[in-house]
Amino acid sequence: MSDRREFSRRTFLKVVGVVGAGLAVGAFTEVACGAEPNKTAAKAFVPTALVRVDPDGSVVITIAQPDMGQGVRTSLAMLIADEMDADWSKVKVVQAETNPALYGRQGVGGSSSIRGSQQKLRQMGASVRAMLIAAAAKQWGVDPSVCRTEKGKVINTATGKTLDYGSLTAQASDETLPTGKIALKDAADLKIITKGATRVDNPDVATGKAAYGMDVKVPGMVYAVIARPPAFSSSLKSVDDAAARKVPGVVDVQKVSRGVAVFATNTWAALSGRDALKIEWTDPADPGLNSASIQKKLAGAVIEHLPMPAGSKVVEYSVDFPYLAHATMEPMNCLADVQEDSCNLWLGTQSPDRVQAEVAGDLKLSPDKVKVNVMLVGGGFGRRLQTDYVHEAVELSKAIKKPVKLVWSREDDMKNDFYRPACHSAVKAAVDSNGNPVGWSVQILESGGGDSDTFGNPDIPYDIPGAKRRYSGVDCGIPTGPWRSVEHTFTVPTSECLIDEMAHAAGKDAVEFRKAILKDDRLKNVLEVAADKGDWGKPMPAGHGRGIACFEGYGSYAAHVVELSVEGNKINVHRIVAVIDCGLAVNPKGVEAQMQGAATDALSTCLRAAITIDKGGVVQNSWTDYRWMTLDAMPKLEVHIVTGTGNIGGMGEPGYPSAPAAIANAVFSATGKRVRRFPIKVEELA
Amino acid sequence: MPTYKISVNGASHSVDAVPDMPLLWVLRDLLDLTGSKFGCGIGACGACTVMIDGEEAQSCQIPVSELGSKKVTTIEGLSKDGTHPVQKAWIEGDVPQCGYCQAGQIMAAAALLKKKPNPTDADIDEVFDHHICRCGTYQRIRDAIKVAAGGSK
Repeated sequence: MSDRREFSRRTFLKVVGVVGAGLAVGAFTEVACGAEPNKTAAKAFVPTALVRVDPDGSVVITIAQPDMGQGVRTSLAMLIADEMDADWSKVKVVQAETNPALYGRQGVGGSSSIRGSQQKLRQMGASVRAMLIAAAAKQWGVDPSVCRTEKGKVINTATGKTLDYGSLTAQASDETLPTGKIALKDAADLKIITKGATRVDNPDVATGKAAYGMDVKVPGMVYAVIARPPAFSSSLKSVDDAAARKVPGVVDVQKVSRGVAVFATNTWAALSGRDALKIEWTDPADPGLNSASIQKKLAGAVIEHLPMPAGSKVVEYSVDFPYLAHATMEPMNCLADVQEDSCNLWLGTQSPDRVQAEVAGDLKLSPDKVKVNVMLVGGGFGRRLQTDYVHEAVELSKAIKKPVKLVWSREDDMKNDFYRPACHSAVKAAVDSNGNPVGWSVQILESGGGDSDTFGNPDIPYDIPGAKRRYSGVDCGIPTGPWRSVEHTFTVPTSECLIDEMAHAAGKDAVEFRKAILKDDRLKNVLEVAADKGDWGKPMPAGHGRGIACFEGYGSYAAHVVELSVEGNKINVHRIVAVIDCGLAVNPKGVEAQMQGAATDALSTCLRAAITIDKGGVVQNSWTDYRWMTLDAMPKLEVHIVTGTGNIGGMGEPGYPSAPAAIANAVFSATGKRVRRFPIKVEELA
Repeated sequence: MPTYKISVNGASHSVDAVPDMPLLWVLRDLLDLTGSKFGCGIGACGACTVMIDGEEAQSCQIPVSELGSKKVTTIEGLSKDGTHPVQKAWIEGDVPQCGYCQAGQIMAAAALLKKKPNPTDADIDEVFDHHICRCGTYQRIRDAIKVAAGGSK
C-alpha cells in the first residue's frame, strides 16, 4: 500500500504548474482540474496536490508529514478518504516530496498533525467527492442531488445505477470545485474515521521492505562514522590515523567540525577504522561538570518562596529530575549527495522543511535545489526535530565529493543527544484548617533555558487562590531539546505530586480534593473515568498502593491510575489505567498505541533509565546502561478512550505527563514515603 | 580479504569480508538485505534478530567466519509473501508503530513458535526480555504471538 515513489514527477509538475490558477481547498491544495485538463495523460483525476484517483479505482493519497510511528500516514489519509467516501481497501499512501511552498508546514512535533490539518483534509475529501458526484450526474443527466456515494462509488438513488470512482476520472477532471464551504459528515455518518484502521505500512514492516533512512543505498556511496569528543566542551587536539587507514575497506580519514570522520566501503569497516584511530581530545572546559554539580547549580537558583497564609498547614520540599535521552530505535543517520549545484538527502526527520532550508543555507543553494527524501522514521520523540546529523552528513559529502551515508552508532546517539533537561523543582503549598488549598509557590529550575524568572501563571488546571509558578532556565553546558511532552515531563509530575501531598495534608481523598478545584469539565470527567476504571477507593491486596494524576495539554485530557507494590528495593507495577479524551479519536487504534507508548516511557523513566553526566560528558553508552522497559517487565496496561464531542486534541504528547506522577503517588500510597528524585529508587524515598 | 560462502534464505552467497564482520553488516551492506536492523551492535536490543538453523540469533553478534554451513533466515525469507502466521498476526494486530524494531521482534516470535507452538506468558517473557521496542508496542506483541499460535489473545 505504500509505494513512496508513486507520486510521479509528471503528476507533481502538473500540480505545481497550476498553482494559483485553480480553486484552493486549503492552504496547500492547488486544484489542477478544470484549470488545465490534460486529456493525453493516463486520465488520472488529480484534484489536489494530495489526492489522485486512478482509472483502476485506486485512490492515491499523498502525506506531506513524516511518519515516525505516530501514524500520520494512516490517520491523515483516513480524514481525506472518509469525506471522499473512498473504499479504504483501495487507498494507497505515498510520501510527499519536501516542498513547503506547495504543502505548507511539513514538520511533525507538538502533537500538531491532526489538530492542524483535520479540518482542511476533511474539507478536501468532501470537495473531491462533490466533483465525482457532479461528473456522474452529468453522465446520467440527473441533478447531483439525486446521487449519493458509498465506498468508492456514485449511486443514482432514482435508478439504483452505480459508477465506480475509477470510471469517472476523465469526466471529473473537467469539473471545477464547488464554491463555498461543503458540509462535512455528521459523526454518525463516518465510515473510516473513528473506526480504527491498521497502519498502512504494516505489510512492508512485517516483510522487511519498509525503507528507513538507514536502509537507503545509492550508486557510488561510501559509509562514514565520526569520532566525536567525550565531553561537550572538548575538541580535537591530535589524531594519528595510520592504523585506521590500514583497516580493510577504509577509503579515507578526515578531520571534520565535530572530530574525525572515517569513510569506508561498508559500515563495519568504518566502525573498525574509527576504533583504530589514536585521538587526543582537549580537556573539557569544566572537568568538574557532573550530575551532582548540575543539581547543585539548579538548586542554587531557588529564591525565596511566596508567603503562605498565616495559620495554614504548609508542605515544602524539592524534587529532582535527570536528563533523558530520546534513544530512538533507529540511531541518527543521513545519506547526503552534495553536487556542485544541488544536493540530495535521504533520511528520517521530523523537520523536512527545516532540513531543506538549513542545507540550502550550508551550501548557498536555493531550497528547491535541495531534495529532501523523507523515509520512514525509526522513532522521533523530538530528537529528529534537530538537524545536527544532517549538517554532518552534508559536510562529509562535500569533503569527499561522493554520496555519504553517515551512520551513528548507538553510543554516538546516546552521548550526542539534545537531552530532556535536568530539573530541580522547589515547591511550597498550603491548605487551611478546612482542608482547602490556600497557597501554591512552585519553582521550576531547569537546565535548558526557560522563559521567565519571576513568579507568574501557575500553569495548573486547578483554581487555587494566589497560585504562582516561577519557571527559570539555568544553562548547565549540556545540549537540551524537546522530548515527548517537553517541559510537561517535569512540570506536571511536580504539580500532580504536590496536589497529592496537599490532599494528604488536608486529610482528603486525592480524587475528591482535585475535583473540588478542577476548572475544566472535560478534565474532571477524565479523572472520574480513571478513578472508576482504576478501582479507586476499592480494597487492594496488602502492600499495594494506588496513585492518580491528570493532565490537560496539547488540546487533550488525560488521567492515569497506577497500582503497585514495593518488595525490598523493587517496585512492582501491577496495573496502569490510562484514560484519554482527545475529542474525536480519528484512529482509535493509533490513540491507544500512543497511550500505551507514553505509559511505557513513564515506566522506563520512573523505574530504569536516566542520563548522568561526568567530566562534562554523558556516562551512558547503550541499552545496557540506559535501560528501557522490556516486554517481560510490563504491567497490565489498559487504555480507555473517552468519546468526546469537544475539539480535537493532539495525541503524541498527552499520554506521558500524568503517568510518572501517578506512579510516584502510588509509591507513597504503598510505602508512606515520598519520591524526591527520579528515576525512583526505594532506598532514596523520603 | 577472505571469501565466505553463506546460506541466506535458502540461497548460497559468496561474500568478501573480513573474518570479524558481523552477519548484520554482511546482510545489510553486502547482500542488500536491509530488513534486519542496526539498533546497538552489542546484542542488547534485538533489532537485528534473525534465525540461524531455526533458532533466534542476534546477527550483530555473529562474525561471518563462524557461520560455516549454518542456514540463515532473515525477515525477507520468513515467507514468500508475508503470510507466515506471525507476519499475519503482526499486520492484523496492528503491532508496529515506527516499525524499526519489528523485524527483530517477528523473527524472535517465529523462532519461539517453532520451538514452542503454544507458548505461555512465561515463555514469551523469557524470549522478549532482551528485545526493545522504543515505541512501547509490547502489549500488542504479546497478543499477536498468541494469535499466531492459533489461539485468541
